[in-house]
Amino acid sequence: MTFRTGLAAGLAATLIAGAATAEIKVGFIGSLSSDTGLSTLRGAEIAIEELNAAGGVMGEQITLVTADTGEDVTEGIKAYEYLAETEEVDFIISGSIDDVSLGWLPRMQEYRIPTLDTWTSYIGIIDMVAEDPDAMRPYFMNIASDEALATLYINFGADVLKEKMGWDSVVILAEDTAFGQAITGLVTEALAPVAGIEVADVIVYDINTVDFAPIFSKAQNSGADFIYQVSSVNSQVISSQYVKLQVPMAMTGVNVAALGMEYWEDTGGAGGGISTLSPVPSVGFKLDPVSQAFVDTYQAKYDTRPKVPHFNGFNAYQGLKQAMAAAEAAGGFGDVDAWAAEMLKQDLKLELDGKLWLRYGFWGYDEVEPVTGRTYPHNARFDLEAPYDDAQPSMVVIQWTEQGDVGVVYPPEYATMEFSVPSWVPTE
Amino acid sequence: MLQILIQGLLLSGLYALIAVGFTLIFSIGRVLNLAYGAYLMLGGYAFFWVSQTLGMPKVVGVLVGTLVGVVMGLAIFRLIVRPLKGDMVAVEIATLILAVVVQAGIVLLFGDSSKILLPIVPGVIQVAGVSVTYNILVATLVSWAVLIGLMLFVSMSHTGRAMQAVSMDQKGAAISGIDPNRINMITWGISGALGALGGVFFASYTQLSPSMWVAPLIIAVAVVIVGGIGSIMGTLIVAHVVGFMEVIVVAVIAPELRGVFTMLLIIGVLVLRPRGLFGRDEL
Repeated sequence: MTFRTGLAAGLAATLIAGAATAEIKVGFIGSLSSDTGLSTLRGAEIAIEELNAAGGVMGEQITLVTADTGEDVTEGIKAYEYLAETEEVDFIISGSIDDVSLGWLPRMQEYRIPTLDTWTSYIGIIDMVAEDPDAMRPYFMNIASDEALATLYINFGADVLKEKMGWDSVVILAEDTAFGQAITGLVTEALAPVAGIEVADVIVYDINTVDFAPIFSKAQNSGADFIYQVSSVNSQVISSQYVKLQVPMAMTGVNVAALGMEYWEDTGGAGGGISTLSPVPSVGFKLDPVSQAFVDTYQAKYDTRPKVPHFNGFNAYQGLKQAMAAAEAAGGFGDVDAWAAEMLKQDLKLELDGKLWLRYGFWGYDEVEPVTGRTYPHNARFDLEAPYDDAQPSMVVIQWTEQGDVGVVYPPEYATMEFSVPSWVPTE
Repeated sequence: MLQILIQGLLLSGLYALIAVGFTLIFSIGRVLNLAYGAYLMLGGYAFFWVSQTLGMPKVVGVLVGTLVGVVMGLAIFRLIVRPLKGDMVAVEIATLILAVVVQAGIVLLFGDSSKILLPIVPGVIQVAGVSVTYNILVATLVSWAVLIGLMLFVSMSHTGRAMQAVSMDQKGAAISGIDPNRINMITWGISGALGALGGVFFASYTQLSPSMWVAPLIIAVAVVIVGGIGSIMGTLIVAHVVGFMEVIVVAVIAPELRGVFTMLLIIGVLVLRPRGLFGRDEL
């Protein structure tokens, strides 16, 4: 064999080997030990299995690698670097919490890897897309931003808390986190002028608080009609103590622990009466046939918690498929501008009983949302006005009963039960 | 005001129960057992496993939880404290590492998510506009009963007097026929039992989590440092100082500053009165 034929044979072998191992590599970034992280991971796994079974994308099989953030900002940055530099992934799907996403965003801008966030809802990130679209081109968020969540929640305040329950004032119990501050700010600014509910007091507590008795007493002393809680860390503690102490005030707001089916078990059954806003699809949310099929597949495949995927599991499942469809249309993930343009065209409408029920699409750069009058580029499409014929509402309010059932109480178009106060709370 | 009084009394009772076992070891063995918070954690998880997972009566859960504390206390003494032969720094480092190992074991067995315990005694009453659970009421009563019982045991029983002798002078006690090892072992067992019992009540009042050992350890350290070595009465008084201070800070100043004043109190006492407010050389 001459040098030339040897070189040709070697080159051919390399090409054949390359063709045999051609793949699209997806990286998961998020916590591998939280229900939230696992929901995104499993949603992505199921989507990849289905896509591979159907022949893959652009003739290539999809593989998945994971990087654990442990819900820590520094670990999150390292995880993103690992996926980018060591694994050289084509696409990243994230189940990160707000602070962690904010940590790795500069890395995403540097590496320019198409990235889809399925849990983070921080409006500040969408603002970054609006302000610097070139730098943020690879980024998409397929959950309604927290501003959209809070905006629709104010309607719940006006329609239910004010009009139906007759409550005029609120005391806010908020954890001392960025999430707590953001939600508190949005609610405080809008509740009084829009819903006509005055904020009597704002009580901020440390996230390591395990004894809420004096805090609830302080809330009672404020003279407010109800408590608005903002809790994303150890939320089962505040809600279970509310139940154990039978605090004689109604409490609603945001309680992240109550977003999963494990809430009842985690609170030892001391979680009844708690209501919280939730992104969709929430627990207790009626599902369209496509979403139900996803849940059926999920439950057949996994027998550990979370028993039912959180909303971000649905987002990951549909979002990953949309990202792959966009790549197919754009000729791959390499040209980020082309991929992002195709991603913006993705639009999946799911119906239930002939009505638009869920929509997986994105706001464009110049589209103005009519209620807030602002843009939400690269954010999940949502609708802030009944009858929700453009998309699903940005959030629903769910409530756990004292018997351990859970259902949607707002908006009426999606409600499965009535909002009520716990049995120990005086109604007069 | 009445609200602060009620909540302060209830919280302080729980803190006294948490701290007294730590005081005992510090007074007699003269070591800071930094695995003490792990007793509380193990007690709480044992109660959870027996009463909530296996569905056995709660009293069995309390007994098993307390027994687990005894076993751990004895094991630490036999396997760590005795081999290190009075090297206090080594004991402190070893017990701190042990607490972290126990935490990892808890994560392995029960997962890292928090769990809420059902109250040992269910029910709640409203007193002067304050929600008072029967659970914390019982914890406070148990705490007082345990502290009174412990003071009587130390002052009136043969073993208790031997514990006093060992806390004053180990060598002198040995010369007079007391076996310091036996007394130390009994002390570590009692401390484990008290810690685990405190853990059952603490967890049923708050939550179970693999990191729950840190907060009660800080409370115990604060009570011992501020109260001083060797004073059960000092433990009781300072537990009330810390408990009331926390409730007042939450009610009057700001809830997020709840633990800050406890830390400032520790620093202040260390600087101004290193022996503690009620410290002496023996029990």
